[in-house]
Amino acid sequence: MSSAATKGHNAPCSNRDFDFFYRGLEANRLLVQRCADCGTLRSLPSPGCGACGSLDWNECELAGDGMVHSYVIHHHPPLPGFATPLPIALVDMSEGVRILGAMDETDPATITAGLRVKVEFVRRGDIAAFRFRGA
Amino acid sequence: MTNISNRTAIAGYGATEFSKNSGRSELRLAVEATLGALADAGIDPSEVDGMSTFTMDNNSEQEIHRAIGGKDLTFFTRIPQGGGGALGPLQQAAMAITTGIANVVVVYRAMNERSEYRFGQPMHSLPPTSDNVIFAYHGFSGLMTPAAMIALMMRRYMQDTGATSLDFANYAVLARKYASTNPNAFFYQKPITIEDHQGSRMIADPLRLYDCCQESDGGVALVIVSAERARDLRQKPVYIRAAAQGSPGGTVSLGGFYKDNIWPYDECAAAARQLYAQSGLSPQDLDAAILYDHFGPTVFPGLEAYGFCAKGEAKDFVKDGHLEIGGRLPINMHGGQLGEAYIHGMNGVAEAVRQLRGQAVNQVPDARNMLVTAGSGLPTTAAILGVD
Ligand SMILES: [Zn+2]
Repeated sequence: MSSAATKGHNAPCSNRDFDFFYRGLEANRLLVQRCADCGTLRSLPSPGCGACGSLDWNECELAGDGMVHSYVIHHHPPLPGFATPLPIALVDMSEGVRILGAMDETDPATITAGLRVKVEFVRRGDIAAFRFRGA
Repeated sequence: MTNISNRTAIAGYGATEFSKNSGRSELRLAVEATLGALADAGIDPSEVDGMSTFTMDNNSEQEIHRAIGGKDLTFFTRIPQGGGGALGPLQQAAMAITTGIANVVVVYRAMNERSEYRFGQPMHSLPPTSDNVIFAYHGFSGLMTPAAMIALMMRRYMQDTGATSLDFANYAVLARKYASTNPNAFFYQKPITIEDHQGSRMIADPLRLYDCCQESDGGVALVIVSAERARDLRQKPVYIRAAAQGSPGGTVSLGGFYKDNIWPYDECAAAARQLYAQSGLSPQDLDAAILYDHFGPTVFPGLEAYGFCAKGEAKDFVKDGHLEIGGRLPINMHGGQLGEAYIHGMNGVAEAVRQLRGQAVNQVPDARNMLVTAGSGLPTTAAILGVD
């Protein structure tokens, strides 16, 4: 039903609240929402601002750098689209919001809470994606 | 506000065997458990006028009702969040009976989880519901299994408290010890050691295989009636002293990574506040507990959120042996979902009923009041059950 032509991205299982995020990746931009009324940033997309209830928002591009808040190394079961073991990090971005990102191509043994990382844009098949690397 | 405390009671419970392949339909499991619960209570199936279960249960209320010879079903309702909702149907039953909407409510959960689904598989290719677009947003970065989602929360718990995988081993060994003397447990006569736990393979680091619950087929049902009615029935009434749901602001289903504290904690603390207010009891009044162990390490922040020790101190509470029978708070004497079976927490409710009636295989002497909790790391539920 929906296609890359109408949604502007190929990410599976999105909706009109989330499409902007995946479209941003097509342009190598890591986007979050900024409330148009109170200015609060939110990373996990939502139609409403949890701080003031406003439904108006603008896209905000992150600089792409941050510090690992927590992480997991996924071992089992196998994952579609990723080799395992796969490190995945929850990162405190410098703008004050958190973003979850894969850390494929990074040695799991080098990852700790507090590690400084930066975003790297990649393609996974026909999907524009991103991951974190040590800064 | 109407208080539901002590107005209703669990009058009976029923359960199938727990296995890896039941060999029969899920509906058959649900009907067997329901008939078992009604027989245990001494209530004729024709009296059942209410039913409550999980939204994830595949067995419709009216089909069970039809199979048992029900006459007039006036109340049916379901609770979301999988294992997080485990005590929600019990709360629904208590509210319905207290307000006169229903008189005899069956709460049930039956599934061929192991032989037909396997919940631990990567979640992908889902329809874009409001929850699924979040699972997909996280899955986009490879976070696709419940184990990995909980592991991300628990890694931060370890960072903040100093708890280690060796601490988590203490719980796994205890659960398997209890299971080893429970003939209904899948791991009956199969205890493990700390070394076995530490040698078990990583599933989602920091979670090892022996930190993860089993996958199981089986069914459990409970029959809830008014406290007055329960006193005239054949079993000792197990009163519902409190039942609550908890989902404070910022809660996301297996994805609450964007609030200050990402531990599986806040939702449990929210349920705990309500339980103690409803019941007038405090943690010191509880003799034992069933703490939900989809992943054993979540028991640690659970002990803290429900008030048995201070934040960050569960590792010492567990190490000091307080979860053993004879300790301050014995938990999961059936072996938990690590040791007995994974029936979305409902087998734990059945264990609480046995303990309070004095009929458990690993009996806590003179258990009078027990906490029973549900899955954490998502909107959750909990109850306090007790006997006079
Ligand atoms: Zn706002």
